[in-house]
Amino acid sequence: MNWPLDFAKRPGMRRSSAALVMAACLFVVDGRAATDDFYVRGLPAARAGNFPEAASVFENELRHQPSSGVFVDLGITEWQRGHAGAAILAWERAAWIDPYDAQANQNLKFARTVAQVDAPELRWFETASTWLPPSAWVWIAGASLWLAVGALVLPRVFRWRRSGWQQSLAALGFCVFIFSITANVGVVSRTDIGFIVKKNAPLRLTPTSGSELISTLSAGEPVRRVKTRGNYYFIHSSMNAGWVEQDQVGLINE
Amino acid sequence: MPVQLPPGAAAQIMVPQPAVDVSESENVSATAEFDPPVVRPGEKTFYRVTLDATENSILWPDKIDAPPGLALGPGVHGQISRVEGNKFHPLTSFVCEVTAAAEGHFTITNFTVPAVGHSVEVPAATLDVSAGNPPASVRQLWLEVSRTNLFFGQPFRVRVILPVGPDNRLEALREVQFNGSGYMTDKIVTHQYPGTVNRDGRQKQAWIYETIATPLAAGPLVMTAQGFSAGSDFSGPITISGQAGPVMIAGGPPKYVLLGSEAVRLNVRPLPAEGELPGFTGALGKFEQDKPLLSTNRLRVGEPVHLEYEIRPATNYTRFVPPEAPRSQNWQIIADQPPASGFTFIPLTDEVTNTPAIPFSAFDPAAEKYYDLTIPALPVTVAGDGLPVQLPAWSADDKNPAPLKLSGLAMTPGTSVASLKPLQLQGWFLFLQILPVYGFYLLWQWDKRRRFLEAHPEIVRRRKARRDLRREKVKLQEAVSAGDAGKFVQHAAAAMRIAVAPHFPADAQALVGGDVLSQLDEAGRGGQAGETVRKIFAVADAQFAATPPARADLLALQAAVETTLQKLEEKL
Repeated sequence: MNWPLDFAKRPGMRRSSAALVMAACLFVVDGRAATDDFYVRGLPAARAGNFPEAASVFENELRHQPSSGVFVDLGITEWQRGHAGAAILAWERAAWIDPYDAQANQNLKFARTVAQVDAPELRWFETASTWLPPSAWVWIAGASLWLAVGALVLPRVFRWRRSGWQQSLAALGFCVFIFSITANVGVVSRTDIGFIVKKNAPLRLTPTSGSELISTLSAGEPVRRVKTRGNYYFIHSSMNAGWVEQDQVGLINE
Repeated sequence: MPVQLPPGAAAQIMVPQPAVDVSESENVSATAEFDPPVVRPGEKTFYRVTLDATENSILWPDKIDAPPGLALGPGVHGQISRVEGNKFHPLTSFVCEVTAAAEGHFTITNFTVPAVGHSVEVPAATLDVSAGNPPASVRQLWLEVSRTNLFFGQPFRVRVILPVGPDNRLEALREVQFNGSGYMTDKIVTHQYPGTVNRDGRQKQAWIYETIATPLAAGPLVMTAQGFSAGSDFSGPITISGQAGPVMIAGGPPKYVLLGSEAVRLNVRPLPAEGELPGFTGALGKFEQDKPLLSTNRLRVGEPVHLEYEIRPATNYTRFVPPEAPRSQNWQIIADQPPASGFTFIPLTDEVTNTPAIPFSAFDPAAEKYYDLTIPALPVTVAGDGLPVQLPAWSADDKNPAPLKLSGLAMTPGTSVASLKPLQLQGWFLFLQILPVYGFYLLWQWDKRRRFLEAHPEIVRRRKARRDLRREKVKLQEAVSAGDAGKFVQHAAAAMRIAVAPHFPADAQALVGGDVLSQLDEAGRGGQAGETVRKIFAVADAQFAATPPARADLLALQAAVETTLQKLEEKL
């Protein structure tokens, strides 16, 4: 869990703000997944170049508990197996869990340079949502809202003397709440972002297997899901829109 | 001078061939005979007509007029080409089985048949039937099959045997053909040889034509054979001494005689539908299987690997139909072209750890059941086409350069979460937000109640009075139980004061007996309740006197006190 420290080290970040962020993190991080398989089978297999077995171990680990480090390792094994799309998806998921995972971000840049694919285009509120893990935003929203409401209501109920700090706290709480709402919208909006996991995935005009082909999508290319019908997603890519089979796309939060 | 064949197949066409004789089409001749011409009643003979014309050019009548007493049975007909000089001459024979039930001299008269656009006269033939004749030696082909009870598609051996005649002459067979429907004979792999056959316990030299047949229809089938005895084209006769006696192979130009065989009946059953195993392609018989061999077990995606299998027949007359290539998502599978036996596998992904098993099974006619011959999966390691993990250095002027290489492995699992699905989309989290809302609601209700009580203090006083009264009643009961009259009076007075205090309102300690009486109705004041109040307060007030009154009888007021307190409590 390095991202709070990284975030706190950002220029202009006050110590009190960093403490607030780290406190919020305590609510969202469940702990560290450290099963024997990861250490005993996964890492040795990856080091020995037995990437299919390593990938299998990492996938099994992630089914039990998703964690950024395992996603990073899964991405590396998939990359070594020639699966650029699966590798990019794994690193994106690592960054989804921990936006400040240095290895995931480094590998994403490297992979996109090699595979010649773009990063997903994010709207401003989606960009804001990448500053913290998705679950942090919702806790911040909840805490700030009830803090503001409490700062307004509790002094009245308990007949405390009204003071300026209560008003300031309420105002601050509402400001944080309103900002975090946009970030939360960004988080929800980002759940529709996916990545093509197979080479030359066919983009079709209609959601049928015999449909006319619009184009093919490269492995690792970002797409945005618009709607679902049967076994197909209607997606927008950077150049086209059309239907693609669900197993050709990996959504970031699946 | 022997012809020297020039090299090359095309050149062979240029080798001089005998000409086909078409010049004598107007002079078609015919012969007719009974073979043998002398029989005993009931014995079989053959009526044979031979014409030197092609079979297609002859309009043979459906029925031949035979004299009464002569029964014509089934017949055969066939055509052969004979070489005379340097020309081919067609020869067609029609043979019909004949049986005479009684003695006599029978003649099938001459008749004409259209042939090559002309009428050709078939001469008369005479048969002598007499009980005094020696037993007839009928020249006929023998048809033997390896088994008559068969399954659909089960191959079986067929032998057409031409035994030596009475003169021990061994002749070859030409233009052998099988009559009947529902089966197929192998026209390519045939075997002809002189040999010895055992017939009716006797060894006999014979010319043997052997091939394989396969039933193509279920049910009873009838099979017959026919062929031309051809002699052998030697300059003179050859005599061979063998176990079955000396045999002479006739020399000179061949004399073609069309012969038929007795019918053989076959019973063909369909393959059972139940118990059929996956991968059954129609293979019949008993086979043995060797362990398949893979050319390599380490390969890359897209790299072909060859699997060779060997399935050998364990018995004669099997029918091997090679297994078909199954469909697989992860493998491209290509079957070898026969006679090679193998498959070429091309892995499409590195996720596979085994070659696909090739389902295959066969039917064993002897056991009458299917058995498994599946070619097992073999372990392989497939490596993917790895992507580059390092890039050459870019321009140093690039302000935001991409990393030049892939990171190392993460040594720890790192930050973990319960699910990739964000809390924003999880129902339980939204439900959790109800808790603070409910907390604030409770606070609001509490504040509202508090304000109400502040506006109505009598409710608070009455509630407090009821609470204190319950407490005093308990003490009162304890005093009675202890027989302490002094405490009984004190608690009774205190309870009465508490019960009436909210009506004034005033502190209970400040009230006197008159205040209590004022809260009783008129009847009460003059009745027992008033009396009880007065007594209690009189005793309570007298506790400060120099000579306290006697209290022994005060405990007897317990019932009256409780009644009075009940009346006062009702007004609270």
